[in-house]
Amino acid sequence: MDGVLLMVSPDRPIPRISTPAMIAASTSEQARDLPLLRVDSISKRYADQTILSDVAFDVLAGEILGIIGPNGAGKTTLLEAVAGQQPVDKGHVRWQGNPLPPSRRREAIFYLPDGVRPYEEQPVTRVLTFFADVYRRATCEVEDVIESVGLTPVLHKRVYALSKGYSRRLMLALGLLTPHPLLLMDEPFDGFDLRQIRAIVDVLRRDTIEGRTLVLAVHQLSDAERVCDRFVLLADGRVRGVGTLNDLRAKTGIADGNLEDIFLALT
Amino acid sequence: METWRTYFLRSPEKFHVQSAPLRPLLVKELWEILGGQALWIMLLLMCPLIGYSFFQATALYGEASVAGLQSAVLASGLSPLDGVLVPTFGAFYVAVTLLFPFVAIRVLGQEKESGALRLLVQLPYRSPTLIAAKLAAVLTAWVFAGIPALSALVMWELLGGHLSAPETVNLVCGHLLYGLLVGAIALFAASVAESAATAAIVTLAFTIGSWVLDFTVAGQPGLLAWIASLSLTQVLHTFEQGLLPAGLVAGVCAVVFGFAALAAVWLPPGVRHRNKVIRSIVCVFAVALALGLVTQIRLTFDVTEDRRNSFPLADQQLLATLPQPLVVTVHLAPEDPRYADLQRNVLSKLERTVPKVSIRLAGRQSPATDAGGDRYGEVEYGYGAHSDISRSTSPREILPLLYGLAGVSSPAPAPGSDYPGYPLVAGGGAALFWFFFGLPLWIALAWWWSRRLPKPIAARLSRRFDHEHN
Repeated sequence: MDGVLLMVSPDRPIPRISTPAMIAASTSEQARDLPLLRVDSISKRYADQTILSDVAFDVLAGEILGIIGPNGAGKTTLLEAVAGQQPVDKGHVRWQGNPLPPSRRREAIFYLPDGVRPYEEQPVTRVLTFFADVYRRATCEVEDVIESVGLTPVLHKRVYALSKGYSRRLMLALGLLTPHPLLLMDEPFDGFDLRQIRAIVDVLRRDTIEGRTLVLAVHQLSDAERVCDRFVLLADGRVRGVGTLNDLRAKTGIADGNLEDIFLALT
Repeated sequence: METWRTYFLRSPEKFHVQSAPLRPLLVKELWEILGGQALWIMLLLMCPLIGYSFFQATALYGEASVAGLQSAVLASGLSPLDGVLVPTFGAFYVAVTLLFPFVAIRVLGQEKESGALRLLVQLPYRSPTLIAAKLAAVLTAWVFAGIPALSALVMWELLGGHLSAPETVNLVCGHLLYGLLVGAIALFAASVAESAATAAIVTLAFTIGSWVLDFTVAGQPGLLAWIASLSLTQVLHTFEQGLLPAGLVAGVCAVVFGFAALAAVWLPPGVRHRNKVIRSIVCVFAVALALGLVTQIRLTFDVTEDRRNSFPLADQQLLATLPQPLVVTVHLAPEDPRYADLQRNVLSKLERTVPKVSIRLAGRQSPATDAGGDRYGEVEYGYGAHSDISRSTSPREILPLLYGLAGVSSPAPAPGSDYPGYPLVAGGGAALFWFFFGLPLWIALAWWWSRRLPKPIAARLSRRFDHEHN
């Protein structure tokens, strides 16, 4: 094993987060300490248009954080900036309190962009094998990932022949094969129906239980409410609210409002 | 399984990108090259192109050989390098110039357009490693592209033709350098450009621009001559003449390395353009410095069997012992055909033989405009305190002149050093069948084979799938 796989710090205890309830408890405890990732006043302009303006939020270990906003809110730019794939005008990212420069983000963060069909001419198996070989995954691990995201029926197909949903599953499988502690996913539920979203949510939950932290950019508020532990509400490149659904309800004074009501109230 | 999920407790200073396995990356690049249509279509197009060139070259060589078989003198002028190899590989050069850029661009451009590059740059490989793997893929593609040309060599052997190993290897080496140069430019263009189409325009601007330079400014004096020397095809000309110039090889390697370095600079998406430009300038300066150094390398080997680029062996050995500097002053304009003759027959050979030689071009203007036109056409040879003048461009006249200046007698010609020549009258019908039917069929079969699912994975996963669904 090499690369990031070798970097386990043996002198620190590794907590086991076993249930979503424990995740919530654990995240609230860790929030008082150090967040896994801190995004600090990121700003980005294209010509005279402000895309991101002083965007700041924390990502807590083991949570699923939703970046919520309509199309054009700056979600994708924000994820790319956090992943180090987009230079920013201002702001930085800290990993457990220490600066994480863009050139080293890929050591801790893996970003799954939207609308990517990697290696279209290749069969699905070959794409999966490539990632598995790079990260030296055992065959059983690869098979588990294939099974968990439901890719088995299309393993023989070439990537260009996949439906949108299976294309998403492939991207998710690639993300699950990476060893990174933090996974950023842009619109991971686009192209899935309700049943499929539930199945994928289960997969993501299992992944967080095993120790991964997820940040999802989602524009469908209902999907986000179903999946995410906390939310960053983004509109016109500005953060309009951060917290759990209850935190946001308290902030807006809408006691039994859903995420849609809260988002409309804050933007 | 459990351990690798628990990374979030690690401090960032523990993260490194180290020793990720290279094999999967190289295998991926190989499958990407083989998986696309561009390589196979190029190969199929190259078959008739190279085949027809080979057929034509063989036919013309056969016609010339009819007379050569009657006369030993005429036969000695028949070299397969000039008659068959260079024309056949000329077709390969056309294909590499016009078609190969599209294959090379695809190595990077496809990933860029599909978005896969954004995944690739996150894998635990540095940008130079990624570009090196892609350059290896380009090299592999060139090897595949060379199959029709190499099969022409085999065909020539089967027809009973003669191949000189040093000449052939040297010519292939020249084409390899040219292919790598085109490939590195294509990678750089694909790295900088937003789309594959733009990258193709940039690369073809280099390759076809070289043709334009060859046709328009070659043979012109002054600055135009320097511009003409920038043509990529200049790389090939020296090798086609049967010369292996160490300086040129090192220079081309430096330029290939420079374009690859530029491609690596422009690959990562998260770096500001200003930083990329600064790094690019550093790369360009480094390559310019390297080129400045390699121009000092004057070591050149004449690998031709007929030693056309060298004086006779006995003269060569004697000239190499001349201790004093030889100064040659040429009163000719560079565009004058006599200067080209003198350069090819005498000056370039002297430069490669005499230990201390300096050549000065005094006649920059043609006689019509030269104020001192009386001396135009003269070549002055100065050795030690002696000097002499000649208007000849033939070594038969100039070598005795030099021996006279040096005070040594002409050497006796070495016995058995005459080039016999290799006349051959052969029909090329079988070659045409091979290039128009046989080889394309094999290529089509290889294309089909490359598109099969990898067997071990397919078998294992099929078993699993069947088990789950029965």
